[in-house]
Amino acid sequence: MSRLRNTLSVILILALGGTLATLLFVSNAIRSMNYGDLRTVLTTTTATFGSLLGIITAGLMFTHGKFSELASELSEKSPDYLSGMLSLDKVQRIGNCLLSLRKISSQLETETTIEKEKDLYRRITENASSMFVDFAVLMNLRLQQQGLRDTGFMVSEMDPPLHAKYQEARKTIRKEWQIVETIKRIVDTWEGPTSFISEKLDTRNSLQSDLKSFITILELKEKIDKNSKNIRNEVAKALADVEDEVGKIIKILHEDRIPQLLSQMDHASTIRGKYFYLALMFIATPLFANLIILPQLSEGTMQFFQPIISATSSLSVMGVLFLLLYIRKILNV
Amino acid sequence: MKSTEEQIKTLLARHSFPPLGVVIPILEKAGQGEKELACQIHDTYASLANGLTQILDLKDRNMKTLAKMYEIILGHEGAKFEPIELSESRFSFTVSDCPMMHVGRNVGTQAKSKFCDLICGAAAEALVTTTVGSESVCSWDKALIKGTGKCKVSFTSGKKK
Repeated sequence: MSRLRNTLSVILILALGGTLATLLFVSNAIRSMNYGDLRTVLTTTTATFGSLLGIITAGLMFTHGKFSELASELSEKSPDYLSGMLSLDKVQRIGNCLLSLRKISSQLETETTIEKEKDLYRRITENASSMFVDFAVLMNLRLQQQGLRDTGFMVSEMDPPLHAKYQEARKTIRKEWQIVETIKRIVDTWEGPTSFISEKLDTRNSLQSDLKSFITILELKEKIDKNSKNIRNEVAKALADVEDEVGKIIKILHEDRIPQLLSQMDHASTIRGKYFYLALMFIATPLFANLIILPQLSEGTMQFFQPIISATSSLSVMGVLFLLLYIRKILNV
Repeated sequence: MKSTEEQIKTLLARHSFPPLGVVIPILEKAGQGEKELACQIHDTYASLANGLTQILDLKDRNMKTLAKMYEIILGHEGAKFEPIELSESRFSFTVSDCPMMHVGRNVGTQAKSKFCDLICGAAAEALVTTTVGSESVCSWDKALIKGTGKCKVSFTSGKKK
């Protein structure tokens, strides 16, 4: 509810700001101004943009500093996670379970005609594949950490589409802290996102809950199809094994507050991105005014430049409003 | 007690591929040396396969075990392995690198082709015998040395002709 109220108030303030800026723009554009006034408006607008740029740059540096601080904290933890949590035997065991689940669900997906059931099997296949790929990526990094060369230890069991996903996932890991992010993604795929701090409302079904639904369906089918019992036993065993192994990882992850740290990092990264584009805009506009408009501004060109000057001055009003709105967010980073 | 990774590392270092400086002159001269080299390669890869089977506790004698061997060995040798198919009766993959790609221009195509037949052949036979059993056929298209793309290697269950 509070999130909704916040969003509504932000939209309301922005709408008010937008309306005010538009009104200013229209009134300035209609009213004919003299040369001296126009020069003063342009100089004041440029000065406002310059001041805002200073504040935005400070904000950008602050959020970047916060982001780097969190990134280095997570980077320090990453090698320990890789060496402590992911032994070769453990990953092999989990990998085998995930592959067997993937095989069963993709086979049943082709056999069933009920749409909802098909969706369930499709989700299981996708989530098991995603977890398998993430484990394979981590395994590869761990083997490299242990001094073995680029050994795709789980690659041979992948089909070409899964291998393509693996290659893509490998390329995305460029920084050490992304190892922890990958572990968090595995946990999220397995148990569903549990972070209450998360800005995004994620409604994905977790693999764990889907497997429990899968077992329930197989139990119902047992009466008419005896083969379902064998499949149910296999799925139940795989579920128990993965639950056991991933459960240990989840426990350590929560003890180290990794989900919270990653969420803060995500938040800092989003604000940093917005600051970056704002800074670009606030650098470009005064440059445009000072280098192009001001030297050309004479009594003759005044009429031509008047709408542009009105637009930039309106933009500076909007910029001030936007910044006032963002001060609260900056302080929350 | 060494970790699994350390054991694999030691094993791979102990059973390494002979240097190309030794291999190429033998391939360029037809003679008894070729047979001896093929035997040496066979023994090296058989020991490697046996060692990996023990370290990784790979009890099953099937294509999956063979695939696991290949990905570890090729990864160690620096060749990029891309899977194509893995079933109970067939295993195929592509490799995008081969030692013959890095030799000088003075080494002829015939010697490069012999590398495929003798070296890859001996290694494949050793791995197949150890992991699947002797009743499997291995084939490869030599695309890398022909310069026509990645080399495709396939293993199919069935009696050798």
